[in-house]
Amino acid sequence: MSDLDLLLSVAAIAIVLNGLLAGQQLGRWVLTALYALQFALLFSIAPGTDGAQSAVAFHLLDNPVGWQLSAFGWFFAMITIGIAGFCAAYAAGEWGATNAGSGLSMRWLYAGLQINVTAMLLLLSAGDLISLFIGWELTSWAGLILMLLGGGQALLAARRYIIYAIAGGMAIFAGLVMTAGATGSLQYAEVAAAIASVSTGTLWAITLLFVVGFAVKMAILPFHLWQPPAYAFSPGPASAFLGAISARMGLFAIGLVVLKLIGLDGFASLSLWRDVINLRDILLWAAAFTAILPTYVAMRQNDARLLLSWHGVGQGGYMLLGLMITDSLGSAGGLLHVFNYATYQAILLMAVFAVIHRTGTADLNRLGGLVARMPLTFLAMLIGIIGLAGLPPMNGFVSKWMVYRSLVTEGMPLLFVASVISTLGTVLSVYKLLHNTFLGQLRLEHEYVKEAPWSMTVPMMLLCTVVFVTGVMPGLVLGYIADAQAAIGLTPVAFVLGGIESKAGSLDMIWITGVLFAGFGIGAILFYLMGGRTKRVHQLDNYAGGHFLTADVRYQYSDNFYAGLMHRIRPWYRGTFEWAESALVSAVGAASSAARGFFEQANPALWVLVGTTLIVTWVMWHALG
Amino acid sequence: MSDNELVNQQFPVKVEQPGGSGNIFARVFDELTAFCRSRSLFILHYCTGCGAIELPPAMTSRFDMERLGISPMVSPRQADILLITGYVSVKTLKRVILTYEQMGSPKYVIGICSCTVNGGMYWQSYATAKKLNDYMPVDLYIAGCMPRPEAVITGLRQLMENIRRGEANGWQDYYQRYDHYLGHQQRLFGETWQTPTDVIAEAKHYGLFSNETLGEHTKLLQQHQKPLEALEMRLGLDSKDKVEP
Ligand code: SF4
Repeated sequence: MSDLDLLLSVAAIAIVLNGLLAGQQLGRWVLTALYALQFALLFSIAPGTDGAQSAVAFHLLDNPVGWQLSAFGWFFAMITIGIAGFCAAYAAGEWGATNAGSGLSMRWLYAGLQINVTAMLLLLSAGDLISLFIGWELTSWAGLILMLLGGGQALLAARRYIIYAIAGGMAIFAGLVMTAGATGSLQYAEVAAAIASVSTGTLWAITLLFVVGFAVKMAILPFHLWQPPAYAFSPGPASAFLGAISARMGLFAIGLVVLKLIGLDGFASLSLWRDVINLRDILLWAAAFTAILPTYVAMRQNDARLLLSWHGVGQGGYMLLGLMITDSLGSAGGLLHVFNYATYQAILLMAVFAVIHRTGTADLNRLGGLVARMPLTFLAMLIGIIGLAGLPPMNGFVSKWMVYRSLVTEGMPLLFVASVISTLGTVLSVYKLLHNTFLGQLRLEHEYVKEAPWSMTVPMMLLCTVVFVTGVMPGLVLGYIADAQAAIGLTPVAFVLGGIESKAGSLDMIWITGVLFAGFGIGAILFYLMGGRTKRVHQLDNYAGGHFLTADVRYQYSDNFYAGLMHRIRPWYRGTFEWAESALVSAVGAASSAARGFFEQANPALWVLVGTTLIVTWVMWHALG
Repeated sequence: MSDNELVNQQFPVKVEQPGGSGNIFARVFDELTAFCRSRSLFILHYCTGCGAIELPPAMTSRFDMERLGISPMVSPRQADILLITGYVSVKTLKRVILTYEQMGSPKYVIGICSCTVNGGMYWQSYATAKKLNDYMPVDLYIAGCMPRPEAVITGLRQLMENIRRGEANGWQDYYQRYDHYLGHQQRLFGETWQTPTDVIAEAKHYGLFSNETLGEHTKLLQQHQKPLEALEMRLGLDSKDKVEP
């Protein structure tokens, strides 16, 4: 039994344990420890060695099927298990107790989380295209468990998700069959070797089928509409887990298929109209639009969970953008963004769910001023949004800088501008999130709100530490990324502890952070040396054009934030994607209700009528013809 | 009595004792601070009456007061100058006082227009407060009905000069003779008049508490004053707090 087998077995057994133990608080803490064990087991596996090779192997229709964890998969697995552990800890204490009291099944939640982790580990350690497909399908269905737990809106979103997931799965399966037909194998190495001799038309078809199938999970435009509601309305920790890492399985698979199997040369050969457009440009631009549009949709959301989930879609665009630049700096930036994003998205969703836990709402028009009541949660969200907005010294800055830098050095100024526009939208909307939740006027009904319990704040604070430390010392993560790059045939990035040290550009976060804090320090020294004194005032002792404020007067203008900007964006957006998607959903809905009516004989007279009409028409057609 | 003596009698002149604090650098920093202060002023223009119309030309390119280092500010907490541009009705005056008290010291008040000096053409009105400096210390009046932008600019320059020389100390007077100002305010607004700002505590905070800070009017105020306490950042509820409803 190899180390990988040990990890996978522990993960599989853990599903059963989750089902048994998650009902009790103590049990949930044990399960959190179980994630720590899986994390430790993962670190005992050095990718590329014997330990990373599974002993389990069999043949399916003459194709060997096996599992092997590459450095590329290892990097994603590390994030997956880590985030799952934090989510499990978050739900272990009071959150679990309260929500179990209101009817949420903790057994299903924890088991669902572990099923997701196990399925993802199977996907990430896939050793060939068949095991990749098995892992892919398992991951898709595992995600559904967590979505269904939310109930209500989440159920609707889950129905949409099924349609997308099945369509995506079918595209991948078709790609699989075509690959087998064109190359005669489904083994990574053999496919990669044979790909050069595949005709361009077939290669186009294969690549597109795979990319479209995987892009659905990744929620790349235009396959993105299912994701925000599906992720947002899952129960707290499930939502944090799904939002943080689940969609990145799509990036993993795209990276694997496009870069490792088809390879940079094969990829470059896919062009149209004498090289005017090639597949790489199409993907880059799809990624850029994915980074821009959802970000501005996020801005108009009034539900904090939806706002964050839309950002999940947008930030996925950044990752694909980085990876598809395919140079060492940009692709490292894209991969680093996976890690960074997972950390701060988990923080942000945890903070939002902590606010929901205490106030019962995530409606950005009905919150405000909570900084005085939930300061730790505020701090967590502050650090999270600094990360999400990509500002130093948090880790989001490093990955975005790498992507920007490589867009500039690789000569893609338009894409650079596009990503800057996206960042602008991000900054605006995360400000809305923080402002409407924590700043401004505390509502009367929240006067006696308490800080979230330590079982929820501690995981957030620990993740904040990760965000800050990996922001100051990105080298801690870049090591794994360099290995991952090497595993899919990219040039590993040249890094130092503080950041990047290469000809394409250098970045030393230790210096940047030092200068930043020195600035704060000088300000503080000046302030305190000059006898700076502060005075706290009541929030009703505030300026509203001279108005005398009372607690029942709302003076914080958080309602319908950015209304002017939204006014310009909305009709344009509504006219395209939402229309197309609602048409698709209702077509599928109509088809399925027709099919159900047929099977259940809900309206026999109607079907008899339809049937006879069709037969009569057919007969008459032939009689007349 | 000579003119000078008359003036001295009405406005007590404080003669500085040399070497008072024993710090030889004290004066250096005082002058430097005063100079810097006079070169960076933010105005909160509380436009009460018709005189406000002279501010746009004073601010914009023709007269451009920003070249003097003076620019508008949206909130009283960050503002240095409170500009009262015309007649103040009783209702408006309450807001003006509220706003004035919200400003951080040192703060300066400019009354623009004759109406702020003595009621102007509203002298007979029942609804207009006549003398602004009864209710708050005014550092400078710019008279006229209405004063032209040149006059506004000249007034502002005069204020800058006063600040540089350390003579614009009206704000200290508000703390030192709070009872006097409060008395006028109570006469106009009634005995239950109060603002959220605890001026007496601030007088202590700035070390400007004098024997005229308190008096019969502040006694009246303290009988009914309900202080607004700042929101505490807190991790949980204290035992004395109410439990979540
Ligand atoms: S002085 Fe004249 S211009 Fe100024 S507020 Fe009074 S009436 Fe209006």
